Amino acid sequence: MIIAERKPIKRILQMIEPFERIAVIGCRGCVAICSAGGDREVEILAAALRLARKRQGRPLKTVEDTFVRQCDPEYLTPLGELKEKVEAVVSLACGVGVNLAADLFPDLKIYPGVDTSFYGANPALGEWEEKCRGCGDCIIDFTGGLCPIARCAKNLLNGPCGGSQNGKCEIRPEVPCVWHQIYERLKARGELEKLSQIFPAKNWIPAGHGGPRERKRPDLQMNSQK
Amino acid sequence: MSNEKYRSHLERVLREGHFAVTCEIGPPKSADGDVVRQKARLIRGFVDAANITDCQTAIVRMSSIASGVLVMQEGVEPVIQMTCRDRNRIAIQADLLGAAALGIKNLLCLTGDHQKFGNHPEAKGVFDLDSIQLLDMVRRMRDEKRFQCGEEIKGKTVEFFLGAAANPFADPFEFRVHRLAKKVAAGAQFIQTQIVYNLERFRKFMEMARDLGLTEKVYILAGITPPKSFGMARYMKYFVPGLDVPDEILKRLKDAKDKREEGIQIAVEIIEQVREIPGIAGVHIMAIEWEEAVPEIVKRAGLHPRPLAEEVKVEVPRPAPEIIPERPEVEEEVPEAPPKVEVPAEALKEIFGSLRSSMEALRDGINLLHEGLASLERALLGGPAERPVPPEIKPEERPVVKPEAPAVSKEEEERAQKVADLLSAAKAAREAGELAKAEALYRQVLELEAENEIAKSALAEIEKERLVEELLKEAEKKLKEEDLDGAEAAYQKVLELYPQKTEAVKGLEKVKELKAARAEKKPEEEKPAVEERPAAEVKAPEVADILVFAELSKEYRPVSERAAGIPEDVYKEPGTAYIREVTIGEGEKAITIGGTNVLPFHLFEGEMKNPPHVAMEVLDVKPEDWPEALAKYFADVFDDPGAWAKKCVEVYGAEAINVYLVGTDPNFLDLGPEHAAKVVEKVAKAVDVPLVIWGSGSAEKDVEVLREVANVLGAKNVMIGPVVDTNHRALGATAMGYGYSLIASSPIDVNLAKQLNILLENVGVPLDKIAMDPSVGALGYGLEYTYSVMERIRLAALYAQDEKLQVPFVINVGREVWKTKEAGLPSDDMLGDQEVRGIALEAITALALLLAGGDFLIMRHPKAIEVTKRVIDGLMAQ
Repeated sequence: MIIAERKPIKRILQMIEPFERIAVIGCRGCVAICSAGGDREVEILAAALRLARKRQGRPLKTVEDTFVRQCDPEYLTPLGELKEKVEAVVSLACGVGVNLAADLFPDLKIYPGVDTSFYGANPALGEWEEKCRGCGDCIIDFTGGLCPIARCAKNLLNGPCGGSQNGKCEIRPEVPCVWHQIYERLKARGELEKLSQIFPAKNWIPAGHGGPRERKRPDLQMNSQK
Repeated sequence: MSNEKYRSHLERVLREGHFAVTCEIGPPKSADGDVVRQKARLIRGFVDAANITDCQTAIVRMSSIASGVLVMQEGVEPVIQMTCRDRNRIAIQADLLGAAALGIKNLLCLTGDHQKFGNHPEAKGVFDLDSIQLLDMVRRMRDEKRFQCGEEIKGKTVEFFLGAAANPFADPFEFRVHRLAKKVAAGAQFIQTQIVYNLERFRKFMEMARDLGLTEKVYILAGITPPKSFGMARYMKYFVPGLDVPDEILKRLKDAKDKREEGIQIAVEIIEQVREIPGIAGVHIMAIEWEEAVPEIVKRAGLHPRPLAEEVKVEVPRPAPEIIPERPEVEEEVPEAPPKVEVPAEALKEIFGSLRSSMEALRDGINLLHEGLASLERALLGGPAERPVPPEIKPEERPVVKPEAPAVSKEEEERAQKVADLLSAAKAAREAGELAKAEALYRQVLELEAENEIAKSALAEIEKERLVEELLKEAEKKLKEEDLDGAEAAYQKVLELYPQKTEAVKGLEKVKELKAARAEKKPEEEKPAVEERPAAEVKAPEVADILVFAELSKEYRPVSERAAGIPEDVYKEPGTAYIREVTIGEGEKAITIGGTNVLPFHLFEGEMKNPPHVAMEVLDVKPEDWPEALAKYFADVFDDPGAWAKKCVEVYGAEAINVYLVGTDPNFLDLGPEHAAKVVEKVAKAVDVPLVIWGSGSAEKDVEVLREVANVLGAKNVMIGPVVDTNHRALGATAMGYGYSLIASSPIDVNLAKQLNILLENVGVPLDKIAMDPSVGALGYGLEYTYSVMERIRLAALYAQDEKLQVPFVINVGREVWKTKEAGLPSDDMLGDQEVRGIALEAITALALLLAGGDFLIMRHPKAIEVTKRVIDGLMAQ
């Protein structure tokens, strides 16, 4: 899922500084699951903002709601009505949701309430780890299912580098060296020959270096008679 | 002699079978080309080529290619280094075309140190390619005349002799040589290795390389670094991953009078040893910011003069006219009187950038380990383990070795030597199993260097080992005593520390077997302890051994830390007024309740001047409805309220006593005021803790009873009650007359509570002599209603300036809980043990009402009180 983290309250206060009525809108997708932008976080953030503004002597009115998703236009329709009631919206969705809302409602002032961090897994309560970078050209069939693009500090395709020590990366002592893990895994499977070939230089276009990425499925598109 | 068949001088030296010597030149952090030139002059004639680093350790420096041109102008052949960190494939190819055009002949392809270690850690790391892909790309540019994209290079292309690095000391070790093979396959013609100190591992690496036939395909140059000082060597040993500097080398440096001389000697010896390893084609000397050592090392290693030195032909497209490649007579002078190279003082500092960050990483790791161990010890030993408290260390004193200060003072040097001595002695002791001795030695180290990570981590390890030893002993003892559960617990604790500890694994198996055997023999003996106890002990059973609760952590983590970046003024909201303080009792034993301006235990936003207190209850008559689980603690004193109170205070540590005059209840025994007075008198004589006198709750009778009590008691600072609206005048007068505090009792309602306080004030009772009893319900009997009323009263008092409600709460928990049906039902499978159940009911009710604002609780069961007090202690910690 997409992992996000609430922005510092001070930053959000700056964004909404001119307004007296705002909406705080969460998303029940990824950001709810990673405890950054679901119902609970909406409530906490709205309360914190109100309190802070009350302190400043400029009370703030908030409307709170959490949508099923913010990355689908159909779930964003309530924003149309909301923009009559409030001056601005702080969205706790990931950057996708904020962008889509901004696309759909050009005259709505919408601000990000979270920093969208990475695609990650939730190995334990309160912990999230990056596992994929969405590079658009998956090669983890060669690496025992472990991604060196997301999990190696130098995104090496022919690792491990000389900074691999006792299975750890030199970057931070708690970070495992993913190339060490790949080596151990393939060794255990008797597939070390996969590492003897040289991975060629990577095509970074699918990773987004070719401009914004999009995907189309004509068979699923409406009005796709042609 | 034609050079045509060789791409560079270095290639020629190697291919003609000479033992090659290269060294390293670090460009300056400035545009001062003279620094590079001077360094080049220093080593000219002593090496076959000199590497020019490419922003080594990710610190911005003059570019490798530009520096390389300057080096060429001084008659030294450069090896340009190119990393993947800072350039994508476009920039790399462009720069390499330029380098070739400028006459550069050798190229070392590296992935590059991560930007995190340099002076721009926030930079975007490019890593479009890795070192192997870089080699592959350059090889194809050269051999196939194609750019990486496949497009043909028309006209001249690059003609580099291609090199790569290898680190035989990184992990996974077995794969290192295979990665080397990949580099060779990608195009590497020569390899320069990481610094070799651990010859054993290096020999093994070379053996594997030979087995793969790599030494036939590539020239391997062993990395050599002369240790400049004892400090530097020790630093490398302990803080640079993979650099295993043998103790012998450390010792030699330590003992040496002239450290630099010894360092050079060590380098020479390593060169001599690596020369013996089949497949080694040369050495790469990395004299870190000590280029002047290179000529001396080369000479002493018998590698001077360099073969083909006169052949060095550095082709600079626009040749500097005065370049004359060889001037032997000048070179001879160099080692005698090495020119005073102004090495910028800062330079050394940056060279160690990466070393230092490695060290910091290591330190972080060790700190984590410490914390982990400390909490483990706390968990296991039930209290903070004793450990030497490292003195506050100022940041500037932190690093053990200060690489940036090459002139180490004599004292420091001596201290460092002493530390090293102690460390090796300690290590030896530890290996010999003499833990105490090792521990003492490590502690001495810490005295000298409080931040010494080796000593600290070793001490933590030793402590752990010792704990394990003790646990194992204990387990064996318990096993002998046939205390299987005890033994099992001890073994499991060992396994938590060392998951693989064989003794513990075996021990657990044994426990399992014995348990199985026992279960077969006499299953009915399974839980003798619990059931026998109450019967066996007529007198008060030990409270301590039922329901043992772990100590609450008293370690306070400030809310600001936990509130993850929420500014304080957002969540802090202290009340606008204080709850009044009411004091009862006299002298040292007096207690004060109230005095808070925040919701209970919100210590982060205000203060609670007094912790909540707990009184124990004594009855005027023998209780008839007390369940056995409660009665057994007091059965021996039921007949004597004085003895009962004394027991509460002396055995169970009661800080106050509530005398409940239930016997005077007209609907119960209807005993007269004299009885009550006698009881109170006895109690007052028996104990010196503060007293609360609680009538039967019959408004009329209580007036009589409490008057009589007051007559006997006289002017003592006690609290009496309950006062209700119908008797507030009479009791108010009594209280004022004798200076007593009052318990204003109202039926679970905010307004009624307030009204009673106003009535009392009207008759002249000051608010600081009043405590409120809001009427409470036990868990399952209206607790939530009580909670909400209390909470509303407290909010009105603190945040709505409702002065009349700014008085503390007195909560009679015990009475409500122990009269419930559930507290009295016998033990059974569904509801469990009667006593545990009762304790839980009372403690949970108490805790809930503490959180609602309870300031003064009256309770009954000693264990429930113990639990409640512990929680109070825990919540009051900050």
